[in-house]
Amino acid sequence: MAGDPAPMSESMRPTPEAERLHSELSTVWGNPRGWRGVFSVVNHSTLGLRFMATGLVFFLLGGVLAMLIRTQLALPDQDFMSPEIYAQVTTMHGTVMMFLFAIPMLEGLAIYLIPKMIGARDLVCPRLTAFGYWCYLFGGIILFASLLLEMAPDSGWFMYTPLSSSEFAPGPGSDFWLLGITFVEISALSAGVELTVSILRTRAPGMALHRMPLFAWYILAMSLMIVVGFPPLILGSVLLELERAAGMPFFTVAGGGDPILWQHLFWLFGHPEVYIIFLPAAGIVSTLVPVFAGRPIIGYGWVVSAIVITGFISFGLWVHHMFTVGIPQLAQAFFSAASMLVAVPTAIQVFVWLATLWLGRPRMSLPMLWITGFLVIFVCGGLTGVMLALVPFNWQVHDTHFVVAHMHYVLVGGMFFPLLAGAYYWLPLVTGRMPSERLGRLGFWLTFLGFNLTFLIMHWTGLLGMPRRIYTYDSAMGWDLYNLISSIGGFMMAAGIAAVLVDLVVHGRYGRRAPHNPWGADTLEWSLAMPPPNYNFASLPRVESRHPLWENPTLGDEIARGEHARPGAAHGRRELLGSEALTGRVREVIHLPGNSLLPLFAALCLAVVCVGLLMRIYPLSLVGLAGAGVLLLRWSWENGGHSRAAPLGHNDPEDPPLHSRTADGPGRWTMGVALLADGAFFLALLFGWFYLWTVSPQWQMPDQSPLSLPLLLASGAALTLGTLWLERRVAALRRGHEAGLTLVLSAIAALGGLHVALLVAALLAAGLEPTATAHDATLLVGLAYLLVHGGLAAILIALQACRAGLGLVGARLPFEPGVVALLWRYQLGVFWILSAAIALLPRLTGAGS
Amino acid sequence: MTALGRWLAPSHPAQLLLGLTIWSLWFVALYGGLSVACELAPPAPRQGALTGINTWLAVLTLATLALLAWLAWRGLCAGRETVGSARFIALVGAGLHLFSAAGVAFVGLPLVVLTPCL
Repeated sequence: MAGDPAPMSESMRPTPEAERLHSELSTVWGNPRGWRGVFSVVNHSTLGLRFMATGLVFFLLGGVLAMLIRTQLALPDQDFMSPEIYAQVTTMHGTVMMFLFAIPMLEGLAIYLIPKMIGARDLVCPRLTAFGYWCYLFGGIILFASLLLEMAPDSGWFMYTPLSSSEFAPGPGSDFWLLGITFVEISALSAGVELTVSILRTRAPGMALHRMPLFAWYILAMSLMIVVGFPPLILGSVLLELERAAGMPFFTVAGGGDPILWQHLFWLFGHPEVYIIFLPAAGIVSTLVPVFAGRPIIGYGWVVSAIVITGFISFGLWVHHMFTVGIPQLAQAFFSAASMLVAVPTAIQVFVWLATLWLGRPRMSLPMLWITGFLVIFVCGGLTGVMLALVPFNWQVHDTHFVVAHMHYVLVGGMFFPLLAGAYYWLPLVTGRMPSERLGRLGFWLTFLGFNLTFLIMHWTGLLGMPRRIYTYDSAMGWDLYNLISSIGGFMMAAGIAAVLVDLVVHGRYGRRAPHNPWGADTLEWSLAMPPPNYNFASLPRVESRHPLWENPTLGDEIARGEHARPGAAHGRRELLGSEALTGRVREVIHLPGNSLLPLFAALCLAVVCVGLLMRIYPLSLVGLAGAGVLLLRWSWENGGHSRAAPLGHNDPEDPPLHSRTADGPGRWTMGVALLADGAFFLALLFGWFYLWTVSPQWQMPDQSPLSLPLLLASGAALTLGTLWLERRVAALRRGHEAGLTLVLSAIAALGGLHVALLVAALLAAGLEPTATAHDATLLVGLAYLLVHGGLAAILIALQACRAGLGLVGARLPFEPGVVALLWRYQLGVFWILSAAIALLPRLTGAGS
Repeated sequence: MTALGRWLAPSHPAQLLLGLTIWSLWFVALYGGLSVACELAPPAPRQGALTGINTWLAVLTLATLALLAWLAWRGLCAGRETVGSARFIALVGAGLHLFSAAGVAFVGLPLVVLTPCL
């Protein structure tokens, strides 16, 4: 491939064998040229960089909005912006920075780095990476278009109801937010699922959990938090959009709903979100500190514990954003205590970093400068966080600029500073050139001083009582000087960021060539050529140390010469090694799909769904949805033994085997993690049902449940029978029995169809009035959830029957039915739980009578 | 050993999640139980913290605390007897169980002093 990087850096001498391997691997792993290449590429390096470049563009747009805000607030009684435009600008600033910059940027970094750090050639679902990128891009464009059309959302970045409901926000602004953000969240979930599976199942041989780079631990936690944390907001967005578009009163008291339900659903996502952003940034710090201290990190196990604790406890704090809504004091005390508790794992990490620096010989290179800035700012943000965890103080400063200042200390200090440290650290790997120390230091000091000038002062503005989101203020309030200083600091910070950007842009051309492993790092990504080739590793190394490059500095040469596992790609497949999650023992060879336009087209169809919903042209949305469904099923068809994947042949490796010839490949794990996200969505729905039932002031439970028990029982019986039969057949297939497989799978699909038909009958017989009461609206959403999953389960098993008929599933290809069986098992669980909650429990408790 | 037995072994990676999962379930039961109880049968405010709600939640808290403390002790013992990744999992798991136990004690402490439904 012309223009591809050399197989080794300039400091390393390529051998003829290395050249041959490079040529062979480039043919199989290369990105296509021209426009087709732009749209069909699935390689993690390319897509990771695209995520980050797109995130940077959104960051600049969000930054311009921040400057507009600071200009407006610089002086009292300003009319630079009208109140309406100011509300749109503040809402979009928060939304863009949180959803279109912070999360995608860190995902992009993880997508780019994780395979390189764990010794893999790509992520485990490359087409999902591409699909996630396109969803992010289209969702971001749709959301940002609203600002250009002057119809942007204006209810604040957390979109509280009823301010965001149709009564107080009748324009399309809220719809842009709900649909655009949900679209972007599909992208985040895609990345969360595949990063989780990649880290657990594709690590280098020998890289047991306790030898994994700390950055991978952080990304694993972030990914699982995305998987569990994002679905509540997706549910909230779906419900609010249904209320706005169809009049279902989930958040309207008169209809039996409750606006506080939105706050619960939003903050169930929103508080973990802060840690979803912080953890990968802390991962950067934990990676860089040992390198610049020149010694292994102190307390690896402590850091792992702190990561896991943060991941869990951060889900138990959401109510501290709602201390003023009238929750009993005892419940507030629980959340107050949990909010203080989360400071413990953060403190563990800070002390670990300080101890590592204390016992090492720190070098104050440019990345370390940004780490130092992070430590100062983040510790201050953490301390004001503990202050805000105290209920009386929280009441006092609620909705003031103190909270805004705290949030920026945590998010800018906790994410932006480590991100720039990481950018300076990994730039030589990406471009092969070094950044400018002088420009970098100028950028740092301007940013650091500007930031503190803006936000340290803002604490005082808040303590003096200035509420957030007011578009102007009277001079008599005494906030003039503080706001002026904050605005000056804001522009100083912008100048610092501009200096950094200039450095990042020009260093690729004018920076001096980077020596190999310029920082003396210990992790695997620095064993690669700079920039790395598309396939990363010419051969896959065995790793039995936490610091492979410190133990063996010539590892990169050995890898390039093909001295490790599975060198080259003479078979023409894109291959990874699949390993055991705990020990890193090799289990199978994973074959990956190649470049494809399917992810782009599927995301385009979803964009059509969004636009149709925004314009209230529902037939257009249905067409888009059907198109997306067909394309995604086509995507799933090119799998396993398909001629475009890995058809059965005589050159199949036996030890280890290809994953599609086993019963437990990464696809099964991917389905499992995806169902975890689905389960979080389901639990949020269940929470919504019980919340409205017990708390909503005007909840109307009918005397008699409208759902027919006989129909539900019959539907459940068909599902139970189908699931048990499928499980039995999957077990038989694993034992090598394939006789009558097509027929049996067809019969199971028919049972799935019967389950769905009976569920439809139950829905029709119920005669629900979803626009009249929140009760009926919730039942409708619950039944729709079951119908979608039941329908999908039936279609997927019908496709398995077809594949069995074509010889794409059988005793030698037993993998796929086991993956679909997980969905059936899930549907079985949620069907009975939901039926019990919405049809049985109201009868047993006599709730309506 | 059964699949469940393997999952519950101190050196299984699930131990990294078990302690905090128990903490989470306890926390949901604490908050959910309080909310539902206050909705169904709120006690008179003059009773202070000495109410049935506080008592039941305190019993649940103590039981959870005991379970987590035992799991932490078990992990610690297993960590002394194993090597490699098994030792790492057992010791980190023990630490996480211990932290979860401390979390239960700390978050549950207001049950002793605060009136439940005010």
